[in-house]
Amino acid sequence: MGTGNSRRGLAALAVCALSLSPVAGAAAFAAPAAASAASAPQETTLRVKMSGSGVDTLNPFLAFFDGAYDIFAGIYPTLNSLDEYGKPGPYLAESWTQSEDKLTWTFTLRDGLKWSDGTPITADDAAWTLNLIMTDAVAGTANGSLVSNFESVSAPDPTTLVVTTKEPQANVTYVSIPRSGIPIVPKHIWESRAKDLKDVKNDTFPIVGHGPWTLTDYKPEQYAKFDANKDFILGKPGFDHMIQQSFKSVDAAVAALRSGQLDYINGVNATQFTALQADKSLLTVQEVGNGWTGLEINHNARTRTGKKIGTGHPALGDPVLRHAIALATDRKTLVDKVINGLGVVGSGYLPPAWPQWSWKPAAGEETPFDLAQANKVLDDAGYTKGADGVRVDPKSGKPLELRLGIHSDDAIDAGISNYLKGWLETVGIKLEIQTLSMSALNSDLAKGDWDLLMDGWTTGPDPTFLLGIQTCAALPKDDGTAGNTDSFFCDKAYDELFTKQLTTFDQDERAKLVGEMQSILYKADVNQMHFYANTLDVARTDTVTGLITGKPDAQGMYPAQSYSFWGYLKATPATAKTAATSAKEEGGGSLVWIGGAVLLLALVGGVIVLKRRSGADDRE
Amino acid sequence: MSSLTTTSPAKVKAQGVKRSDFLPYLGGKLAAALVSFLVTLVIGFVIFSLMPADPVRTLTRGRPTSEAQLVQIRVQLGLDDPIWERFLTFVGNTLKGELGYSWQFQQSVSSLVADRIGPTLLLMGTAAALSIALGLWLGIRSGWRHGSLFDRIASSTSLALWSVPTFWLGMILLVAFSVGVGPIPSLLPAGGMSDPSLPQEGWAHVVDVAKHLVLPCLTMVLVVFAQYVTVMRTSIIDEMGSPYLLTARAKGLTDDAVRRRHAVPNALLPSVTMIFMHLGILVSGAITVESVYSWPGLGYLTYEALRIPDLPLLQGTFIVFSASVIIMNLLADVVYRFLDPRVRAQ
Repeated sequence: MGTGNSRRGLAALAVCALSLSPVAGAAAFAAPAAASAASAPQETTLRVKMSGSGVDTLNPFLAFFDGAYDIFAGIYPTLNSLDEYGKPGPYLAESWTQSEDKLTWTFTLRDGLKWSDGTPITADDAAWTLNLIMTDAVAGTANGSLVSNFESVSAPDPTTLVVTTKEPQANVTYVSIPRSGIPIVPKHIWESRAKDLKDVKNDTFPIVGHGPWTLTDYKPEQYAKFDANKDFILGKPGFDHMIQQSFKSVDAAVAALRSGQLDYINGVNATQFTALQADKSLLTVQEVGNGWTGLEINHNARTRTGKKIGTGHPALGDPVLRHAIALATDRKTLVDKVINGLGVVGSGYLPPAWPQWSWKPAAGEETPFDLAQANKVLDDAGYTKGADGVRVDPKSGKPLELRLGIHSDDAIDAGISNYLKGWLETVGIKLEIQTLSMSALNSDLAKGDWDLLMDGWTTGPDPTFLLGIQTCAALPKDDGTAGNTDSFFCDKAYDELFTKQLTTFDQDERAKLVGEMQSILYKADVNQMHFYANTLDVARTDTVTGLITGKPDAQGMYPAQSYSFWGYLKATPATAKTAATSAKEEGGGSLVWIGGAVLLLALVGGVIVLKRRSGADDRE
Repeated sequence: MSSLTTTSPAKVKAQGVKRSDFLPYLGGKLAAALVSFLVTLVIGFVIFSLMPADPVRTLTRGRPTSEAQLVQIRVQLGLDDPIWERFLTFVGNTLKGELGYSWQFQQSVSSLVADRIGPTLLLMGTAAALSIALGLWLGIRSGWRHGSLFDRIASSTSLALWSVPTFWLGMILLVAFSVGVGPIPSLLPAGGMSDPSLPQEGWAHVVDVAKHLVLPCLTMVLVVFAQYVTVMRTSIIDEMGSPYLLTARAKGLTDDAVRRRHAVPNALLPSVTMIFMHLGILVSGAITVESVYSWPGLGYLTYEALRIPDLPLLQGTFIVFSASVIIMNLLADVVYRFLDPRVRAQ
């Protein structure tokens, strides 16, 4: 009676122990397995974190997610590459010319290149790819807009590609570039797939392509494995293999980097970056930001015909109120407090990663942080404060109580919104913070059912698309369909400049026009740029070197990296760890596991012996 | 003795009645399950379709997309079709066993579910088996000796772990065992289901997957087992005052035998309900654990579907999850009839 223990209880314990034992055993054996895999062949593998957006599909005609384009950049060629400052360079095309009327582009392709299955790469492959996107709605799903101004594409001979455009188009050399442009696919593989393109998963490995890498295996949500293409025309990759591994949490990826499971992560957050800077075994690098974070203001949402839509606050149509909001926003504090100083204070609409398009207001024209001035301009404009301290719109009689939509999964939005709320309340504007999913925010945005919205965009080296969403053509139709506007901005002068820059082939002249467009946006105070967050990278110094290209500026910031193309191509193994060091490290882990297993067995055995002794009386 | 071995006609009749009772009982439960499933279908469709969202803009956010493209994509996805037409298509496809076509992954929902159900069941099944075994064992012992040191330690520890946010616990274990803390070296991988650099088949792969399973499984077990401890402990305590236990003791049975043969079987019923409820939600995975450890399961897939929202994928996973819960509830009803004579009597 005295023993409350039973053999069944012990059996349960044993079952638990046995259930765990394969796992523990597995762990015990895993380290030697990994060690043998690492030590037997002398081949090297670059291990990087897959883009956070993941891969939606390996079909290059249908993919939208960055993760997919990171893979395509490695395995499919493009007509042009980009240099470290985002200027088009040679890739498949070694040179290109324009006709006098600027409507015909002739690309001369390299001779002698081959797809990974040995078939020659010709201009016909490029012509077929581009024509398919131009003529087939399904093929144009992801990249149709890039060729919407193309009249025809032809390949008169294997090394000549002729592109004719409907209107002069200055950015043709950006249409097919790694990552943000159109990948060229092998016609002999894809021609038979074109009929049922929607159902093509493109998951027969190794995938036939041509690039610095060949994709040899891919498991959704897990990893993509590559072999280096030693014959790659722009240089031989420094590693024999590459693995892009999916991590759903950047914190977990950081843990993997610190424990040696990964060599490189592109895009950690400011807190992680600051913490990792102290680790001597890691290289922490800041790239100039290629995107902005800012505030969109719904200034009287309307359709293309001017019909008002949505539930935006009418007072936001007043430029004085919008300017007061800009005056009441301390961008420097947002950079310092929200992103730990790891960014640049915002002004122009295009981010500093592409210096050729970057624009800043002239000295004296910047909007300062000045709460007193914000109060004054509102007082002068007749926005009187009510008893509760909230100002009232003199025209509509409505109090200045505004909704601020923020992304539910974005800590930066949350940080900014708290500061904004405080500053705006100081000047008599009350904010109601609405935390919504991106999809819900997008839905509200299209319908005009919002007042203020936290937003962010990144852009590649060609700014056409980002500038385009501020044109009148981006407004929705009267029935609410179409349109991809961000803030319902519509300005005739801006639209004229947009059209003009598209057809301006002199890059300096084009940059000047783009600058004028940004000046118009800045003065309208509709898109208020808070900051350009630096892109933050971390790499292990003991395993990889050469990932980061270019030279840092005076502040130590590197140019924006084309990491999934140049970075992975130019990366080389760091001085190899000595075999003794590796064996010691791996042996250490094994010893701990063996010790743990012995301890577990001893524990279970001891408990069983004790219980049997204590239960002896009962049995007897 | 003869009364035990000789079956009287009356008893045969009684058994016959019981058997014939079972089929109507099962039929009733099946019909109820079917109705539940159909209602769930409607609810699932309505809820997801009414969600305020713009899937096309969210899907295309990463690419420069023209107005013409957006229109084309809306047509391709069927978003411009009337809602009743979409509903009929949805119901028709479901009844044919087709779960639709994912908007973001551009492949059939059933193939996506098939890809991820294995990892989900591996993680959730292992965690459930360990949680149930550990929880019931601790619950029985704690209840039988309630108030003892063992009870106090087991109850308070399990409840403390139950109260811990899963995400937080996962991160702590990740840092402790993957990165290593102080004298503890890096022992386990930080995420994923396997090491891509190792062969993806054979014994080495099994060992590798098991190694990757340890931390997510441990996190799940630590968070979940407390509910079994609590329910089993309470049930045992409820049974302890019962006269039949006194009778068993009076017959000279040991304390151990009284507990095993009499108290535990009667106290198990609430736990059986909980086990079946747990089994029902196994396939839905665990979003937080899958996120922390990058485990390629159905929970995270559902989260990804929700972000867009990818309605066919959301509806497809919703159907799978609902069907699983309904089937397990049905099984619980059937098993209960065998386990509990009172249910048969009803």
